[in-house]
Parts: sequence; C-alpha cells; structure tokens
Amino acid sequence: MMKELFPMKQVMGFIFSLVLTAVALMVYFFDMSFAIGMTILLVTAFIQAGLQLVLFMHAGESEDKNAIYITIYYGVLIAIFTILGSLLTMVWTYQFQ
Amino acid sequence: MKIDHSLPLEYSTDENRLKILGFWIFLGAEVMLFATLFASYFILSGGTGDGPSGAEIFEITPVLIETLVLLTSSFTIGLMVHAMRLGRQKAMMGFFIATIVLGAIFLGVEIYEFVHYVHVGAGLQTSAFSAILLTTLGTHGAHVTFGLFWGICILIQVKKYGLTPRTTNKSFIFSLYWHFLDVVWIFIFSFVYLKGMM
Repeated sequence: MMKELFPMKQVMGFIFSLVLTAVALMVYFFDMSFAIGMTILLVTAFIQAGLQLVLFMHAGESEDKNAIYITIYYGVLIAIFTILGSLLTMVWTYQFQ
Repeated sequence: MKIDHSLPLEYSTDENRLKILGFWIFLGAEVMLFATLFASYFILSGGTGDGPSGAEIFEITPVLIETLVLLTSSFTIGLMVHAMRLGRQKAMMGFFIATIVLGAIFLGVEIYEFVHYVHVGAGLQTSAFSAILLTTLGTHGAHVTFGLFWGICILIQVKKYGLTPRTTNKSFIFSLYWHFLDVVWIFIFSFVYLKGMM
C-alpha cells in the first residue's frame, strides 16, 4: 500500500537531486578556480532543471508535448540571450576595448 | 463535457488539456522574468558601494535548509500527482499538506534571512548589490507566498469536491508551478549563493 505511493522513478529522481546539490556544494567547501567552480555549478544546475522538467513536471506526456517543449525552449533561449547579452555588453566589455 | 477516460483525470477534457498548455506558456514567460532579474543581478552584484558584499553576508546554514526543504517539497508535490492518478485522495491530500508545510518552513527561513541581511546593514537601499539581491530573492519569495495561499485554496476544493476533472486539473497545474519555483531556486542557490561564497 505504501509502496505504490512512492514510485521508484520519483524516489530515484529525488535522491539524484540531493546528490547534485551535494556536488554543487563542493565549490563552497573546496578551494578551486573560478572557471572550475562555475563549470560545476552550470552543469549541476542545468541537470537539476532538466530533471524537474522531464521527471516531475511530466513535460512530455500529453499530446501537447511539442507545443510545451517549444515554449520551454523559447523561454530558455530568451533567458540565455538576455543574460549573456547583458553580461557581454555590461560586464565583459573590457575584453573588447 | 466530453470526458476521455483513457487519460489521467486532469487531462480528461479538452478544456483541461488546454489549461495545462496555457500554464506552460505562462511558465515560459516566468522564465524570462527571472532571466531579467538574474541578468541584473550579475551586472549589479559588484556594486556594493559602502555596503557589505555577498561573501560577507551570506550564511550557508539557512541557505542549505531552504534548498533541502524546497527540494523535498518538490518531491512531495510530485508524489501528490502520483497519488492523485491512483485515485488515492487521502494520500494525495497528505502529500499536498506536506508540500504546503515545507513551503511555509522555507518562507520562515527566508524571512529570517531577510531580517539578518537588514540587520547586518544590507537593506533594499544600501547598494546596487543589496537592492538587486533582495529584489531577486523577494520575487521568488513572493511567488512562494502566493503559492501557499493558492495551494490552500485548491486543497479546500479537493476536500470539498473530491478528485474531479476540475480539482485534479487545478492540483496538477499547482504542481507545475511548484516545481518551477524549485527550478528557480536551484539557480538562485547556484549562481547567487554558491557563486557568491566561492
């Protein structure tokens, strides 16, 4: 009775998200260069987000699957353009002078 | 109302299916909203003026508690949807209540954190950094606060009407919203806190 309420897939997803959090925490507990630290954070954060989207949010299960994924890709694309574009013009400018 | 019994209840009518699609489109817009906040944060986070920097005011313990609580609540709301699809109303409501309680704990810790920031001299008007920090965290916190009230309203409807195409649809959409807030928090945790303390 209890077991059917805790499907393996979701429990594993939860454990995996805890592991990813622990990996991300390494940048706090260990000394490392900015580049390595940011790489770890980018990788763990995007895997976490993907995990939530596909596993927990059931993004791909209905007949609107394509429309849902296009919406997400579009939102993420605009997000990346906004963030990278802002960094490019206002933070990293010194590289191009 | 045409009900398709081959699908989970929350998808069982065309209206329900379109409401879920509509909510995804709303979440796409929310992604862009938070992107502008993150972009502003990355630009302004160096502008500490006379105020403290992130490394000076961030505390790992409350941040870790918030992260674990929110991750767990994302797990319980996922179990809520699973129990709902099994038709187990009691279990579904239990997971729903657990999610709301965890959300309230998260909010409590975040309020403590805000009081701490103001106490150590990083208020909304101290510096560009403190302003954008509190705005970004506050926008996420406001979403959680709204989610708590929204969730309680849906919970009352489930209690009153049981698992119907309407209430399951609302509960499912709430679960999407809650997972989304968890995703946003993952990015705040990584690129505001951990990056700031690195």
